[in-house]
Amino acid sequence: MMAIRELKVCLLGDTGVGKSSIVCRFVQDHFDHNISPTIGASFMTKTVPCGNELHKFLIWDTAGQERFHSLAPMYYRGSAAAVIVYDITKQDSFHTLKKWVKELKEHGPENIVMAIAGNKCDLSDIREVPLKDAKEYAESIGAVVVETSAKNAINIEELFQGIRQNCLENGLRKLCTALWRTQIGGSSSCRNPSSLHVCPVSG
Amino acid sequence: MADNLPSEFDVVVIGTGLPESIIAAACSRSGQRVLHVDSRSYYGGNWASFSFSGLLSWLKEHQENSDIVNECPLWQEKILENEESIALSRKDKTIQHVEVFCYASQDLHEDVEEAGALQKNHASVTSANSTEAAHSACLPAEDQSLSTASCEIPTEQTPSSDPESALEVNDFEATGEKEIHCDDKTCVPSTSEKETSENVPMAEDTAEQPKKNRITYSQIIKEGRRFNIDLVSKLLYSRGLLIDLLIKSNVSRYAEFKNITRILAFREGRVEQVPCSRADVFNSKQLTMVEKRMLMKFLTFCMEYEEHPDEYKAYEEITFSEYLKTQKLTPNLQYFVLHSIAMTSETASSTIDGLKATKNFLHCLGRYGNTPFLFPLYGQGELPQCFCRMCAVFGGIYCLRHLVQCLVVDKESGKCKAIIDQFGQRIISKHFLVEDSYFSENTCSHVQYRQISRAVLITDRSVLKTDSDQQISILTVPAEEPGAFAVRVIELCSSTMTCMKGTYLVHLTCTTSKTAREDLEPVVQKLFTPYTEKEIENEEVEKPRLLWALYFNMRDSSDVSRNSYNDLPSNVYVCSGPDCALGNDNAVKQAEALFQQICPNEDFCPPPPNPEDIILDGDSLQPEASESSAIPEANSETPRESANLRNPEEPSK
Repeated sequence: MMAIRELKVCLLGDTGVGKSSIVCRFVQDHFDHNISPTIGASFMTKTVPCGNELHKFLIWDTAGQERFHSLAPMYYRGSAAAVIVYDITKQDSFHTLKKWVKELKEHGPENIVMAIAGNKCDLSDIREVPLKDAKEYAESIGAVVVETSAKNAINIEELFQGIRQNCLENGLRKLCTALWRTQIGGSSSCRNPSSLHVCPVSG
Repeated sequence: MADNLPSEFDVVVIGTGLPESIIAAACSRSGQRVLHVDSRSYYGGNWASFSFSGLLSWLKEHQENSDIVNECPLWQEKILENEESIALSRKDKTIQHVEVFCYASQDLHEDVEEAGALQKNHASVTSANSTEAAHSACLPAEDQSLSTASCEIPTEQTPSSDPESALEVNDFEATGEKEIHCDDKTCVPSTSEKETSENVPMAEDTAEQPKKNRITYSQIIKEGRRFNIDLVSKLLYSRGLLIDLLIKSNVSRYAEFKNITRILAFREGRVEQVPCSRADVFNSKQLTMVEKRMLMKFLTFCMEYEEHPDEYKAYEEITFSEYLKTQKLTPNLQYFVLHSIAMTSETASSTIDGLKATKNFLHCLGRYGNTPFLFPLYGQGELPQCFCRMCAVFGGIYCLRHLVQCLVVDKESGKCKAIIDQFGQRIISKHFLVEDSYFSENTCSHVQYRQISRAVLITDRSVLKTDSDQQISILTVPAEEPGAFAVRVIELCSSTMTCMKGTYLVHLTCTTSKTAREDLEPVVQKLFTPYTEKEIENEEVEKPRLLWALYFNMRDSSDVSRNSYNDLPSNVYVCSGPDCALGNDNAVKQAEALFQQICPNEDFCPPPPNPEDIILDGDSLQPEASESSAIPEANSETPRESANLRNPEEPSK
C-alpha cells in the first residue's frame, strides 16, 4: 500500500485567461478551443508518483465565480498552492493579477505556495506582457513564475512540478505535517469507529 | 468589472443564505439558468461567518444609523406603462440592539520594543483599550455586575477593523475615546485617569502573570483571521435533513466537519457532562450503578418507544417533564433527559414530543461519533458557500455587492417578469426567489416577526475543563423564570477553525423576550467572569474569563406565511432568514418545497453525474479525472479526525 498525499491547488485569474485549459491539459493532456467555461466538474484530480509515495493533485477551478469577483472564501480553504493565471497577450489580465494575489492573501491559508502562469505563450507575437515584468512581480511576492501554453502543452508539467516541489519544501519546513495530509490506502474513514452506541447502527 | 450580466435567466435568486443557496444549487443542477445575487460583499446573509475584523466591519454597518445612499440610476422611469414595480429594501433591518464589550487588555509590552511606535500606539489603541480603561476607572466595587462594569462602545468608536488602520488613528480619535459612555455616571475618564487606569493593570501584569497566558485585544486583532464567527449558531444533526442533502448532492465534498464532543448540563451552579452514549453511561463517574441501569433502560425504551404504546399512552395528555417523573429515574437523570437530550423545557413539550426528540437524539448518536451533532470546520457560513459553488459548477452566475432595485410586474398577467439592478439593467427571468430581508416595509407591513437573541463571546478557557483542551460542547441552560426561554450555549475550540489558539468561541442563542443582552447576560454571568477582574485565589477563577462579548438581536422570519406579504406575484417566492432551532431542517424543508414549485417533478439535488460521462467528448479521458476523492484539509491546524461525510452509510461501529 502506497501512501497518498493529497494536495489542493486552486486556480485564480480573470475570465478567459485559460485556467480551465491549463487544468485540462495537465489532467487529461487535452486541449479544446471551445472549452465551455463550466463543465460540471468542481475539481479534477491527477496522481503523480514520487519516490515511494503518490502525490494527488486536487485542482479546483473557479466555476465562473471569479467573473463578477464573487469567489467564496471556502474556495481557498486548505489549499496548499494557488496558480494565478494571466494572459500574456492581455496587459489588463496582468494588472488584475495583483488583485487576485491580494484576495488570496486575505482569504487564503497562510504559507500558501503561489505560482504565476503567463498563459498563451504560443501567441508571443501579440504579447503585451514582457516576461521580465512577470518575473519581477513574482519575485516580489515570492511566487514561482512560468510562461505556459495549454494549447501547445508548454511548461504545464513544469508548472505543477514546481508547485509540488515548493509544497514539499514548504511542508518540510513545517515538519512535514503542515500542507500535506497523508492518507493511507486512499480511504479516509469515519472517526471514532470503536465507540459504543446507544443506538443500533443501521446500514 | 466591466463585464455585463446576461439579461435573461430562468431563476433569479436574491440573497445567499442557506435556503436560497440550496435552491440555487438545485435549480442549476436541474438545468435552469440561475442568477444568484447578494447586495452584501460576502456570502450567507445572516448565515455568514466572519473573521474578527470582518465581524467588526459588520458591526459598524449595523451600528450606523445613517442610511447609505448609493447613487443609482432611477428605475422608476424604466417601468413601462403596462408594468408595475415592487421596490426592494436598500438597507438590512434584521439586526438590532447591537452591543459590544471588550474585557481583554491592550498588551503594551509588545509595543515597548518598538520605541518609535509606542506613543502612537498608545494613543490609538482603539476603543477596546479605552473601554478597558474606562472600565477599570469606573469600577467602584469588585462585585459589580457585568452590565454596569462594562461600557458600550458608541457607534462611531467601533474598533477599527484592521490592525493597520488602527495604527493610523490620529489624535482626534484618541480624544474622542474619552467620551466613552459608562453606565456608571461617575465615570468621566480624564486623560490622567486614563493613564493611571491603563498603567495599573499593566503593572500587575508584570508582577503577577506570565505574559504568555494572557490574551490581549491586540492579539485578537492580529490573529483575527483565525476567527470564523457565525451570526447564527447551529449544529448539524448527524441524521438531519441537511446532512442527508449534503451527502446526496455530493456537496459534502466541499466541507469538513467535526463531531461535537460533549453534551453538557448546567445544574446547581455547576457545569457537568451528560452521559448519552452507552459508553458515556458506563464510564460516567457521576452516576451510580443504579442510575446507569435506569438510564440505559429508559434510553433503550425511547429508541423504540413507538413499539410499546402501552408504556406511554396513559401519559399522552401530560408534559414530558411530568411523564419523566413517573418513570424510574432519579431527579438527576430526569434533568439530563429533559434539558440535555430532549432539549426541551418543563412546560414546552408533551410526552410524545419529548419521546420523539429523545429518539431523534439517540438515533443521530453514533453515526459519526459519540454525540448526535456535527459542526462544519470554519463555521456554519461555509455551508451556503458550498451550495453556491455547486450552483456555479452547473453554470449559475454569481454576483455579490449587487443591488436589485425593484421587481417588475406585468400588469396584465400579474406575474413578475424582470428585475432592475443597481446599474439600471433589466434582467428577465421566469422565477424570482427573494430572501425576506430584501423586501421593503411596504411589502412586509403586515408581517409579524419573532426575534432571536444572540451573544458571541471570546473566552480564555472551557466552561468544563478536561484533559483535552479541544472540546466542542453544547450546553442547554433552562429558563429561570416563566415566560423566558432556555439558552443554548455552544462552545467551540480552536480546532474547529473558528477561533485563535488559546481561546474559545462561545455562542449563546435563545428566542427573544427582551433584548439580546437582557435575555442572555444572566447566563453569561453564571458561566463566565470578566477578564479584567483581579486575580482572586478562589474557585471563582475557575470560571472562564471573558475577553470580548457581543450581543445582538436577529429577525426570525421563519414561519411567516407567504400570504402575510403584501401583493406578491405568484412567481415570486420568499425565503426566510435563519430560525432559532438548533438544526437546519427548516432551511432544507423550505428549499425543497420552493424548488418543487419552481421545478415540479424534478429530482432535488441529485448527485452530479460521473465526470467521466460529462467532461468533453474526447477519448483521452482517464479514470483519474474524477471527483471521487474527499477533500483534503491541508491546514496545519486541521484536526486529523475531522469527519468526511462522503461515506454516508458506512457503518460506524
